[in-house]
Order: sequence, then C-alpha cells, then structure tokens
Amino acid sequence: MTEVSLRCADLARAFGGLQAVAGVSLALYAGQVTALVGPNGAGKTTTFNLITGNLRADSGTAEIRGKPIMGLKPWQVARLGVARSYQDLRLFTHMTVRENVLAATEVSAWFWQPGGRRAQQEREHRAEAALDATGLTSLADARAVDLAYAERKFLSMARILAAEAHIWLLDEPASGLDLASRIRFGSLLKEAQTRGVAICLIEHNLDVVVELSNRIAFLDQGRVLAEGDPDTILKDPALAAIYFGDRPQEAA
Amino acid sequence: MTAFLINLATLAAISGILASTLNFIVGYAGIFSVAHAVFFGLGAYGGAQVALLLVPNPFLACLVAAVIAGGLSLCLALPALRVRGEYFVAASLGLQMVAATLFAELKPLTGGIGGLVGIPRPELFGMVVPVLPLALVALALILWATARLQRGAFGRTLQSIRDADTAAEALGKNVNAAKTLAVAFACAGAGIAGALYALHLSFINVESFTLDQSIQIMAMVIIGGAGTLWGPLVGAVMLLSLPAVISFIPFIPPTEVGAVQQIIYGSAMTLLMIFRPAGLLGDMSKGKSTS
Repeated sequence: MTEVSLRCADLARAFGGLQAVAGVSLALYAGQVTALVGPNGAGKTTTFNLITGNLRADSGTAEIRGKPIMGLKPWQVARLGVARSYQDLRLFTHMTVRENVLAATEVSAWFWQPGGRRAQQEREHRAEAALDATGLTSLADARAVDLAYAERKFLSMARILAAEAHIWLLDEPASGLDLASRIRFGSLLKEAQTRGVAICLIEHNLDVVVELSNRIAFLDQGRVLAEGDPDTILKDPALAAIYFGDRPQEAA
Repeated sequence: MTAFLINLATLAAISGILASTLNFIVGYAGIFSVAHAVFFGLGAYGGAQVALLLVPNPFLACLVAAVIAGGLSLCLALPALRVRGEYFVAASLGLQMVAATLFAELKPLTGGIGGLVGIPRPELFGMVVPVLPLALVALALILWATARLQRGAFGRTLQSIRDADTAAEALGKNVNAAKTLAVAFACAGAGIAGALYALHLSFINVESFTLDQSIQIMAMVIIGGAGTLWGPLVGAVMLLSLPAVISFIPFIPPTEVGAVQQIIYGSAMTLLMIFRPAGLLGDMSKGKSTS
C-alpha cells in the first residue's frame, strides 16, 4: 500500500442532539483519490470540517504524515499541506483571478512575505502555472465575481494547485460542470495523483466517482458503512438502497 | 483669509489621514469600525501630553500618539476577531461610547469635559513650525504606505479575508494576526492624526472624539469610495470644505448654515447610494447585483 498522507480515527461530532459524525475512521493515501459517498446529511462535509480544524471534534484523532492535527487551527492545518474547496466555492469575489491565485501562495500574515524578490518571483510563477493548468490565463485580469460558473470552479482548483498542498479535500468539485469541463477537471486530478497528492472528494455524481476515484468510503448517519474499490461499493444493493433513499425501516 | 485657508487645509490633511486609515480596515479588510475617533482621541491626548509635559516636538508627539493608539487598538481588534458585520459595528459602537465617557471623566489625563488647553505650538530645532506641512508629509507617508500595503501581499490577504475569511484561513493565512496588524496600522495612523490635531488647535476636548466624529470619518470613506486609494481623501476634502462653501453662499442666513449642511449631507448620501454605491471614486460595478 502507498504512503498514508492523512489518517483519522473515530472522529465524532454532535450538534445538540444530532450526532453528525459518529466515529469516522479514514485514511487518505498519496497518489490516490478517495471518494466520500453517501446521502445528504451523512456527515461528509462535517468530516472535512473536523479534519481542517473548522470544527472541533468531540472525540477522535487525526494526523498528517504521523503528526497529530487535532486542536490545530485551520490555517495551521493548511500549512501542513491540506487544501480544500467548498461547495459554495468561497472565492475572493472582488479580487481578480490572478490575485485569487496569488493570494493562495502568500501565507504569511505579516506586512510582507518572507524570502524577498526571488521568493516573490517563485510565487508568481506558481500562480501563473496554476492559471495555465486550469485554463484561466486569458481571464487572469477578470474579477472572480464576473466569471461563469465553470470558470469559478476552476478558479477554486487553481487556488489549491498554487497552494502546493499534498492533501486535497474537494467538496463537490465536479457538480454543475459540463462534460468537457469534467474531462479537464479529471485530467487535473490525474496529474496531481502522479505528483503524489492524496485527494479526497465528496461527490454525488456517481459517474464522476467511478471515473476518478481509486477507493470509496460510504458514509451514512455519521459512520463509514463500507470502504473499498468503486466496483464493490457501488454494486452493493444495501448501500445503493441507502444512497437512493430506499432505506430499510428500523424495527420499532 | 490666508489663515482661514491654512486652517482648512490643515484640518483637511488631518481628516485625510483619518479617512485613509479607516479605509484601510473598512475598504480592504471589511472591518466596519465606528470607533475611529477613539484612536484619533487617544493620539490627540497622548500627543498633547507630550507637548505639555515634555517637549513640543511634533515627531515625538506623533510617535507617542501612534504607539498609544496602535497599542490600544487591541481593544478594537479583539471584537473584530470574534464577530463580523453588524455585530462588529455594534461592538465598536460600544467601544466608542465607553471611550468617550472615559475621555470626559479621566481628568488627570484628558482634562475632563474642559479638555486640555494651552498645548504648545510644535517646535523643531527651537523654532515654531506650522502643522500644515507636517500634516501633509504625514498624509503623503500614510497614503504611500497604504498604497504599498494594498498592492502587495498584505493587501491581498486583507481583501481575501474581507471576501471569504474561511477560505483565506484554509489557504494558510492567519486571519486573526492579519486583522490585528491591519487594525493596529489604521489606529496608529489615526493616533498620528490626533497628535497633529492637538498641536494645530492647541486645545482639545472630548467633543472632537465622539460618535459624530467617527460617523463623519466613515462618511468620508463611503462618499469618496471605500477600497480606493484616493477616494477617502476626496471624501475628506469634500466633507470638510462643505460647511465653508455653504457659509460663503450669500442667500443662506448664517443661523441656517447648519441645517442646510445637514440637508445637503443627507441628500448627497442618498443620491450617492443610488447612483454610485461604491463612492465617487469607487468601482461602479460594486454594490450592484451581478447575477
């Protein structure tokens, strides 16, 4: 098995009486795509939020390449090499496309970035490379708010590319993309895999899941019900029933 | 007439510093503070005490004012780290009210309601110097620093926080540290404006550092164009010159100048929000629906 980039064990989080995540254990491997699949409310995005430090876990552990990350702030987790995208994208809407991507390379909160002019040129080069890879070079001076939907999606990917993270957490990255855009998106992921990036994506489009993922973790009611290769998981009739809302009624 | 214009220009330069520094946190970081006059006041009292108790050196007065206002900016930064939008406006409003009360009550430091009088004129190398050139230099330096920060990585960090703070943090940006620095920079600038104000007028009291003043500074930013370099300066000059211009209009009785001024302010703000919601120098597409 390839190197484990991120491992979490028994993550749990409740909101009042609702147990959103109830003991999720998951491993992300370098160079592999793991899809989190499950019905709405299964705890997929909450799991992302627990890993990235946006939410505090009630219990459980998580580590990146052996380093514990529980209790760290989101920016500290990000600096360990985790980048994420959001369902609602959260672009820097009034900044240009280039500024959005450049901002992803500038992590210091101080008045200036370390490393002087050479480091600045290196960051600009990374930003341009990310724009090129996502096909946004010609739109570099447009404001994010003025982009079409698919372009916005690719801008959120460009930010992740420029951040040079080795773990990507992508929340519905392919939703709303047409076929051509989906193919472009797939090639971005495949290229990242060759560089050893561990990718975890939440996706409702099962065609995309089959096409892109190496493994699937099926979540329901805050638990990982099954984990394995896409063929096995998606052909399981019990899981299909849960996914499509035909859940067996629990005994009264 | 010359003295009148010099006075107006000095106050315009000081207001320009206030508006530019407030714009730095409102326009770039999205921190809508209605407590900028607090830091103006802290700088004014600090600078005045330096001149009264030590030496009337304007550089020392400005330095002390910047350190006091920048240091105490944590009082503003702390709520800014925890709450956003209208909640922060309410928190800064509370800070403004508490500070105004303290300014009026802390007699040994502020002179109470009566304020501090007889503040010596600024001196350099034993010679009395006018405040206008000092204020213009300070304004130029603050505009230069603001422009440098705004166009560089720090400006992008603040704008990213303004637009989507969770995404900025997910990219490794320490949002709290960046906000704290931005607020300290802006408040230190307001403190410098305060020291210059005290040295210029030779008299200060709490009346200059109340909510009215904070709102006027915010109006300068909004009218000129939040998030632009020159907009706040244009707003400051306009709002400061308006009373003087109105007072020269012959058919308006002197007793009605205040009322006419309020009507013009109100009408201008309303028309501006309809036709140029991003301010006079602001981006026309901002504030309008893009969908």
